[in-house]
Amino acid sequence: MSDPVLKDVRVLEIGGGIPVAFAARWLAGFGADVVRLDPAEESLTTDEQVYLLAGKRRVAPTSDPRALALAADIVIEGDNPGDIVKHLRRVQPEALRARKPGLVVVSITPFGQDGPYAGFEASNITSFAMGGIMSLTGMPQREPLVTGGSQALYLGGLNGFGAAVTAYLGSLVHGEGDWVDVSLQECMAGMLELYGPGGAYNGTASMRAGNHVRASWGIYPCADGFAGVCALERQIPALFSVVGDPELGEPRFRDRMQRPNHDDELQAKFYAWFAERTKQEILDLGATYKVPFGAVMTPGDLLANASLAERHFFDAVTTPDGVAMVPGRPFVGLPWVPGEVHGSGADTTGVLAEWLGARP
Amino acid sequence: MKKLPLEGIRVADLTMMWAGPFATRVLAEMGAEVIKIESPRAWDNIRTLIPLPDEAEPWNASWYFNDYSRDKKSLTLDLAQELGRQTFLKLAAKCDVVIENYRADVLDNLGLGLETLRAAKPDIILVSMAGYGKTGPERDQVGFGPIIEQMSGLASLTGYGDDGVPMKTGLSYGDPVAGMAAAAAVALALIQRRKTGEGAFIDLGQREVMSTLIGEAFVAASLRGEETTQHGNRDARSFAQGVYRCAGEEQWVAITFRTEGQWNDFAHHFGLEADPGGLSASARLDEIDRRLSEWTAGKDPRWVLEQLAARAIPVGRVLDTVTVHEDRHLNERGFWTELPHPRMHAWKQPRSAWQLREARPEMKRHAPLFGEHNDEILRGLLGLGDAEMAELERLVIISGAPVNPGIG
Repeated sequence: MSDPVLKDVRVLEIGGGIPVAFAARWLAGFGADVVRLDPAEESLTTDEQVYLLAGKRRVAPTSDPRALALAADIVIEGDNPGDIVKHLRRVQPEALRARKPGLVVVSITPFGQDGPYAGFEASNITSFAMGGIMSLTGMPQREPLVTGGSQALYLGGLNGFGAAVTAYLGSLVHGEGDWVDVSLQECMAGMLELYGPGGAYNGTASMRAGNHVRASWGIYPCADGFAGVCALERQIPALFSVVGDPELGEPRFRDRMQRPNHDDELQAKFYAWFAERTKQEILDLGATYKVPFGAVMTPGDLLANASLAERHFFDAVTTPDGVAMVPGRPFVGLPWVPGEVHGSGADTTGVLAEWLGARP
Repeated sequence: MKKLPLEGIRVADLTMMWAGPFATRVLAEMGAEVIKIESPRAWDNIRTLIPLPDEAEPWNASWYFNDYSRDKKSLTLDLAQELGRQTFLKLAAKCDVVIENYRADVLDNLGLGLETLRAAKPDIILVSMAGYGKTGPERDQVGFGPIIEQMSGLASLTGYGDDGVPMKTGLSYGDPVAGMAAAAAVALALIQRRKTGEGAFIDLGQREVMSTLIGEAFVAASLRGEETTQHGNRDARSFAQGVYRCAGEEQWVAITFRTEGQWNDFAHHFGLEADPGGLSASARLDEIDRRLSEWTAGKDPRWVLEQLAARAIPVGRVLDTVTVHEDRHLNERGFWTELPHPRMHAWKQPRSAWQLREARPEMKRHAPLFGEHNDEILRGLLGLGDAEMAELERLVIISGAPVNPGIG
């Protein structure tokens, strides 16, 4: 096994929320020496700490952040604009970059570093609302709905990770790092599928459609839970063949122009078909007949999933309450380092000695 | 002018639909030369999914396609024909990255698997983005973004919480999430190549990337056997939170009160009764929701946003797919650019969410017309002559238009 890609790359994590912690978790997983400057007040839940702090070294909040930043290759920070200046004792990222041109600084904040909302407070749901996805999610007769977990925050982390490694590559190739400004709102506003560009081009807002964009694109109750289908036009013949109802051969269903006028009738047929089958039966049919079927799996289901086990997807993390199984490498092909969770500030002495030459 | 990180990197882009094109849009934004390859007989479906009315060449006039393929070049090649396959391998030899989001078996079926590509270019970086990865018993499943969301565990966590029904996100959420991870994987693989001289094969299962965005739910399930629950718009880490209707059609705001003190201060300032009193915790939250709904009703969502933000209360307007383009903040930050297009009127397109404050990535050009760069790439880059080009055209391996284009 070759060395991890980011071996010997030093990363300083400052901030404390999910976006920064998630980005830095992947940096650690691909081999970077990630040092987390622990916040004075921890904002991650205990479960989030198990997932997001594995593989990192942790130093006390009183450690000298400016000196650590200048000893790092990548600084990743967030929460609110201006926090980095506060953390770094009134030193702007530009000043750090002037001292160390190869340094990459990634700032992940709700609205970015400037603009009229830059100083606004935000949470996961308010960020999700401002990014546009929420207007499309939920039942049309009810209020818009936030997607589960903390998606706005994780999207910030995902973007922060990508920006960090890309800017670091630029630093290696061109000799100069950069300061990357990642706004949670922009992460989402630029990924609105067809609905975003459609709204911009036509001036018409798309509205939420619940679990059914149309009959062949949605989630249905099945015999042991919920399952779904997302069939493109070219997959409709295979879908109808699997469902097997002779009426589906009639023009009102077969013809793509007539079909929308009979969508309720088609949905009724699908409700009946799904209700009689289990999730696994539906998935097996999908694989056999190349129909895009899915099933609503829970994390518990996935922990027992044979495919994920064969692909060694999960990492084991030791906790005081036992061994937790958490998602590990995001993709196969580059070495990944599982990690354990260190105590808050536990590595202060060692890190200060290694990074700053400080004597214990 | 400071260089973008991926300047000098050339990408052979076989991706279609959304996940892959989203990834390669990011690569183009970061400076890579992205060559989008489509067959005259199997073009990117997005080109023709929503045709403009009365448009003679709908494959060249799609705002949907354009938003995710701008700043790329277009080469047509029918990979199912041997001469097309051989031509692609000549191109791969001059590329740093090949990226595809076919079903797991398709690239091998085309005779373009990893070993073949490595024979053409030993240090090639191949990124494959099948729904469930290239191995494992589920590798043959067909997956689009909404299916990925179901299969990743995320949909089980989404829902109003009072009806037990899991909900899908209102767009194909698994696609851009996988796309963003794929773009990052390219940068990582390029770092590795720089250090070791070796290429890489990235086997990215879209479902797996999606699951990484709910990691704490796996901690709860594995440590304590917790069953999945849906929480609607509430969040256990906040005192109270919800989404409330404002004046106007489908106008809403999301509000979070992190602490009871924050709620009390708000209620006192705006004249709401703060403490419902004598209620269970759940009923109390219901009552706070009711009072907030009464308060926001009839108010302009922009006014609510400004008022609560001024009091350091987390608040967000539920921007829809029109108002998001009108948002004052995004416009002042220069997030939207109206880029000229030869077949369509200009519209607001999003710039990169990765604002490199010094290199300053900017969108440069509309999405390519079908086969627009055939000559540039085949003659200019690969050095093909007139006779070779004529043969490719005779066999319809290359073309300036799709063969028998339909809708969708």
